[in-house]
Amino acid sequence: MDRRNFLGAAAMLPLTAGMATMATAQDQKFTIALIPGLTTDAFYITMRKGAQAAADALGVELVFQGAPDFNPVTQVPVLDAVIARAPSAILIAPTDTVQLIEPLRKANDAGIPVITVDTFIGTGIYQTGAGDADFPLAYIASDNVLGGRMAARALATAIGGAGKVYVSNVKPGISTTDQREAGFKAEISENFPDVTVLETQFNDNDANKAASQLQGVFARDSDLKGVFGANLFSALGAGNGVQQAGQTGNIKVVAFDAPGSIVDNIKTGLVDVAIAQHPAEIGYFGVVSAYAHLTGNSIPVSIGTGFTVMDASNVDNPEIAKYIYAE
Amino acid sequence: MTSSPAPKHVAPPADHADKARTTMQRIADLRAWLFLGFLILGFEIWSRMSFGGTFVFNPFNIQSIAIFAVAPLLLATGQTFVIISGGIDLSMGFIMGLAAVVAAHVVNWATPGLGFGLAVLFGGIVAVLVAAIPGFVNGFLVAVLKVPPFIGTLGMFGVARGVAFLLAGGTTVPVRNEVFATLGNGRFYGVPYIIMVTAVFVVIMHYLLRQTKFGQHNYAIGANAQAARRAGINLKWHLLRLYILSGMCAGLAGVLYAARFSAGAAQAGEPLLLDSVAAVVIGGASLFGGSGTIYGTVAGAFVIAVIQYGLVFVNVAPFWQFISVGVVIIISVLIDQAQRQFSGGRQIE
Amino acid sequence: MPVGEALLEMRNLSKNFGPVEALKDLSMMVRAGEVVALAGDNGAGKTTLIKAISGVFQPSGGQILLKGKPVVFASPQEARDQGIETIYQDLALADNLTIGANIFLGREPMRRAFGFLPVLDRAKMAEAAKSTMALLDFHVSRMDAPVSNFSGGQRQAVAIGRAVYWDAQILIMDEPTAALGVPEQRKVIQLIHQLKAQGRGVIFISHNLQDIFAVADRIVVLRRGVQAGERRITDTTHDEVVKLMVGG
Repeated sequence: MDRRNFLGAAAMLPLTAGMATMATAQDQKFTIALIPGLTTDAFYITMRKGAQAAADALGVELVFQGAPDFNPVTQVPVLDAVIARAPSAILIAPTDTVQLIEPLRKANDAGIPVITVDTFIGTGIYQTGAGDADFPLAYIASDNVLGGRMAARALATAIGGAGKVYVSNVKPGISTTDQREAGFKAEISENFPDVTVLETQFNDNDANKAASQLQGVFARDSDLKGVFGANLFSALGAGNGVQQAGQTGNIKVVAFDAPGSIVDNIKTGLVDVAIAQHPAEIGYFGVVSAYAHLTGNSIPVSIGTGFTVMDASNVDNPEIAKYIYAE
Repeated sequence: MTSSPAPKHVAPPADHADKARTTMQRIADLRAWLFLGFLILGFEIWSRMSFGGTFVFNPFNIQSIAIFAVAPLLLATGQTFVIISGGIDLSMGFIMGLAAVVAAHVVNWATPGLGFGLAVLFGGIVAVLVAAIPGFVNGFLVAVLKVPPFIGTLGMFGVARGVAFLLAGGTTVPVRNEVFATLGNGRFYGVPYIIMVTAVFVVIMHYLLRQTKFGQHNYAIGANAQAARRAGINLKWHLLRLYILSGMCAGLAGVLYAARFSAGAAQAGEPLLLDSVAAVVIGGASLFGGSGTIYGTVAGAFVIAVIQYGLVFVNVAPFWQFISVGVVIIISVLIDQAQRQFSGGRQIE
Repeated sequence: MPVGEALLEMRNLSKNFGPVEALKDLSMMVRAGEVVALAGDNGAGKTTLIKAISGVFQPSGGQILLKGKPVVFASPQEARDQGIETIYQDLALADNLTIGANIFLGREPMRRAFGFLPVLDRAKMAEAAKSTMALLDFHVSRMDAPVSNFSGGQRQAVAIGRAVYWDAQILIMDEPTAALGVPEQRKVIQLIHQLKAQGRGVIFISHNLQDIFAVADRIVVLRRGVQAGERRITDTTHDEVVKLMVGG
């Protein structure tokens, strides 16, 4: 995809923004808060590293505070506490498209610019003048619909362009995983007429359940050819289900996300293909965009970061392996 | 002893534990198995009518269901002991995650020095012992500091979770050990090792509950802690051992999880906690304490596994899966209430 | 009624809770085959007295003698080991266990299955339960039913049976009839007569003068921690006892 272009842009942005506002930056030290969807996930830990790199380059202080699980009930108090400390800007991965609108509006009303990363509020289309939930300045994320499409292409190719597949998903209502599933299904229906997508199975982020569901689907449809795990545990569970069913190699598994353990999973054949997001880029662009805005520059309202497709043939290549999430 | 006749009029010998009532209790004790039987029968009919295939006579289905039931069942056996004593252990899910992460780290660390096999043994033992620590703290809170089990174990839920995530560094810890992976996914004459381990463990737990003083005292404490204390049972010592036991059950579940997925994940047991409590309740235990059996819990765990697997098998829309398990739990509790009214059980009056 | 040797004797027993004197210089005696009733208003010191005797706490002053020898009980378990059992009006049984399991609660007999595996000896428990209950003229056929299936009087009999099985020489019965209906009360009174006939000593605490007059040989009345009087049942009346209890 357009990964290289983004990388190029990433290299340019801080330089230009930094040079334009050198004087201001020395007078005033900005504090940018990053609130992840949850603190205990390699994806957000990697995002933090990217954000920290940008913060160090720009001389900005980065505050990383979040809740231990992906839930608005636990995220909102963290957000309130951060607002109370009046940071220069807030980067947040909202845990709900609706429930985070009013809490974030408080920040906006207090004059703190808000940028959403990874997930969004409202429709995810900001600064339209529509009123309700368009106040954040920018949405920076992987294009999850695109990620789903890439997973579909990888899986369809792996199964030879024909056969039954299904999506193993967490639960409905999470913007990112919903988009991946939608992108996956759209791509299959548009470009792979011989591939049939069966009913989606929701596993509540329980690998044990995801494994059992794969076995159940396989028991009914013994000609099952592949499965797309829309997040890590969906994929791990589905992969184990394939193994328990004795179908390793016959049923292909495409995983979304690439924590450290994915390398082993690819090597042992548990997972055939992994679609890695670029969370470090998201964090990096988030801090840079916030800085650009704080120093009086205009910023794009939407930035999409890319993906890397990993499989057994390329996972040892350092150019690919650098997209494995930090531990 | 002398047995001189009573001096005055003697009431005729009475036996109020009439036969019908006791028989009804026997049947009620087995209700989870009856329920499981009907459930399987239902899926068999459904399966034949919807696409002409068998459900229960397909060995693949049986094996898949058994594998699915392993983790919740291991948690549920420990939970059965705790619930019979009148308590609850909410920390088991994250103790399981903690043990999975510890097992992954220790097996990785020990493999170069000890070799594949011994490293697995060592890692497994260390993980189960580590899981005993939060169990001990739970026991200390409940037994010595008199913290209600719901609160004490809820606190430990948070602590175990935090420690597990810290040890895992916020990610999953991959394990590189072939013997460990074989333990998790291998088979012996077609029977997965994890099912054999679980079966042996469940039999031991049944023995412990049914045939030892520990188990007997557990029932007594659940029905009437004061009576147990007056009978000379050391409540503190009992509760301490009880929560260590439940912690170690979660520890074993965590080790088998890490073996199966070749990875330790802190959140491994999080979704299983409620399933394990549900299995115990469906199995006939009362959340008020004093009743419950391991064989009932086994049936309870299989009821949940059969429903969830069966609905996938017959291709029912996903949301019905959530609803159906909830409905089964409610029915079980209603049966429990009805049985209590019928048999005049006293402990919940 | 044969009255034998002195089983249990209290000499000048006192108990202070801080500045409060719950029990002051109390002396009394129970002989073998004798029922001594303990009467008094709430707060008169009855409960304090039985707790001191049964080892729940230790007296501040005075002596307890068992068969003439001074004894000190550090715990209820020690008192029980010496043959002093306490039976409470409630909270005495695990309702979900069988009669046998209740009799043996805390002291379960074990046997070896297959020659090596220690398991609970349920047969022994059931057998002991059956013979003990028969001794109390209470015949049960279903020894595997939980005690919750039995009536209140029968459950009280199980509690008494437990003391009898462990060969308690002194039984302290705290309001054993309070939670029961009239026919059941009568049954318990009858059980106490049997204990007496077996040569045991009984301390019987009750609010119910009817019961006391039906079963006791002597009555000791407490008021504000001191002995207000002691009478042989045959030498006293309801009115006199009430007067002793309320004072004046």
